[in-house]
Amino acid sequence: MQTLIVFRREMAQYLTSPFAYFIAAGFVLFNSIVFSRDFQSSAEQGIPINPALIPSLISFLLIFFAPLITMRLVAEEKREGMMELYLTAPVSEGAIVVGKYLGAWAYFTLLLAITLVYQLILLAFSPPDIGHTLLAYIGIWLYAGATLSVGLLCSALTENQIVAAFTSMIALLILYIGDFAGQVIGNIEVAAAIRALSLQGHFSTSFQVGLLRLQDIAFFAGIIVITLYLTIRLVEAQRWR
Amino acid sequence: MIEARQLRFVYGEFVAVEQLSFKAKPGEVVGLLGPNGAGKTTTMRMLTGYLPPSAGTAIIDRFDIRDESFEARRRIGYLPERVPVYPDMTVRGYVLFWARMRHVRHPHTSTDQILRRFDLYSRRHKLIRHLSKGLRQRLGLAQALVHDPAVVILDEPTIGIDPQQVIDVRSAIRDIGRERTVVLSTHVLKEAEEMCQRVLIINHGRLVAQGTPEELRRQVARVHYFVQIGGASPKQQREFLTRLPGVQDVQADGSGFTLTSGSTDDLRPVLSSQIVARGWTLLELRIVQSSLEDIFLQAVSDPTEARS
Repeated sequence: MQTLIVFRREMAQYLTSPFAYFIAAGFVLFNSIVFSRDFQSSAEQGIPINPALIPSLISFLLIFFAPLITMRLVAEEKREGMMELYLTAPVSEGAIVVGKYLGAWAYFTLLLAITLVYQLILLAFSPPDIGHTLLAYIGIWLYAGATLSVGLLCSALTENQIVAAFTSMIALLILYIGDFAGQVIGNIEVAAAIRALSLQGHFSTSFQVGLLRLQDIAFFAGIIVITLYLTIRLVEAQRWR
Repeated sequence: MIEARQLRFVYGEFVAVEQLSFKAKPGEVVGLLGPNGAGKTTTMRMLTGYLPPSAGTAIIDRFDIRDESFEARRRIGYLPERVPVYPDMTVRGYVLFWARMRHVRHPHTSTDQILRRFDLYSRRHKLIRHLSKGLRQRLGLAQALVHDPAVVILDEPTIGIDPQQVIDVRSAIRDIGRERTVVLSTHVLKEAEEMCQRVLIINHGRLVAQGTPEELRRQVARVHYFVQIGGASPKQQREFLTRLPGVQDVQADGSGFTLTSGSTDDLRPVLSSQIVARGWTLLELRIVQSSLEDIFLQAVSDPTEARS
């Protein structure tokens, strides 16, 4: 119940904040540039466009956009003293953290929904492999859930939004480039292990190519559960400072 | 009802609050008075359940803040020193949010009622970023009271607002205190005298004096007298005044002297008769009213001495 109240407030905040619209504009701009470029070249060469084009682009964009979406969630509340009101209200830390997280994820879902426009354009010209596209979208939605939870965790580490954003960008960059571990690490087992821990490793070889694997869903869900748990602990720890 | 039992709070090695016990009844406004850094905010944060005490506990309306924190928090309205707000929310949206967060049964009705009470109803659709500091303070009070709490805790409720708004907020607090238990902190003595039925003076985290403003004045006040004598040299006068019973301090003050007496017995009859007996002339003798300020200064300058 309290989670829902926090969630609704966060959503309202995203929908009324100029910064959130600025983020949305940037997000759509990047997607549009890449889409129009690929669309044009595929039309010229007469080859079908990659059904996972937009989701794969987003998997990269999220390194920057997830921190921007989540940086204020806890850091700002701490800096403004709002956390003091939250923690003296009859509400659990879990409800606060999960409500905020769901708000951020729902906002991202809206951003993702906007990109469905590109799929509609494709449908009008050359119908894509809908199953593949759908899986890629489900994959990127889960992937985003994981990146947003990492962003939220970084936001709970500090009172400074900029520090929160940078910390989560670095964390997400590491989780992203882990996918390329095989290219630089000679030992194949070590490389495979690093890859298995990277976010990209669970997207580029499965959802992105139209595969649905339980282990990837479990990985993203695991990241979300663990980071939310740590965030709740961090918020609780504020009482001890 | 609030009952603080041997509260203690330690930040690292710094003891912020030590063995703090007091009670506050419904219908009572209790003031925590102390210099900056005395431990007032830490005490309030422990009472609201924000900071867990390092030792001791507090009972809020029958519920222990350590063991039944959730129930205790339901019964508390809290206004932190700096009113935290969401600038992009409307006045009504903000109060409604806290009404829902605090499980108010009819959040819309309660929100509108409290906004009317604090004269914010006509501004309910305004964004908080456009409110003046005084209005934000009223919004903070509305937020703290929307769930009709039995206990209200206000940290420096009149800090940083203009004099007219101070008067408004003080009258609102007196009003709130009629049926609830209110604990407020302040470092403005006049405010404590005006609003509180009881004052607790805290210094270095310890309770150094407590009582009604009246009692405190009676119990620990030093009484100051101004006296001007003719027909004696200043040296003679000083010697004479210093030897009077109960006199703690003699200071030259313009053409006369200011005496500080540690006793509340009136010194004037003795003083006037002895001056006349010595053949001097009594030109002026009056009591310089001691204020809570003196009590406060006296109490905080001697942190080990607790009075009740």
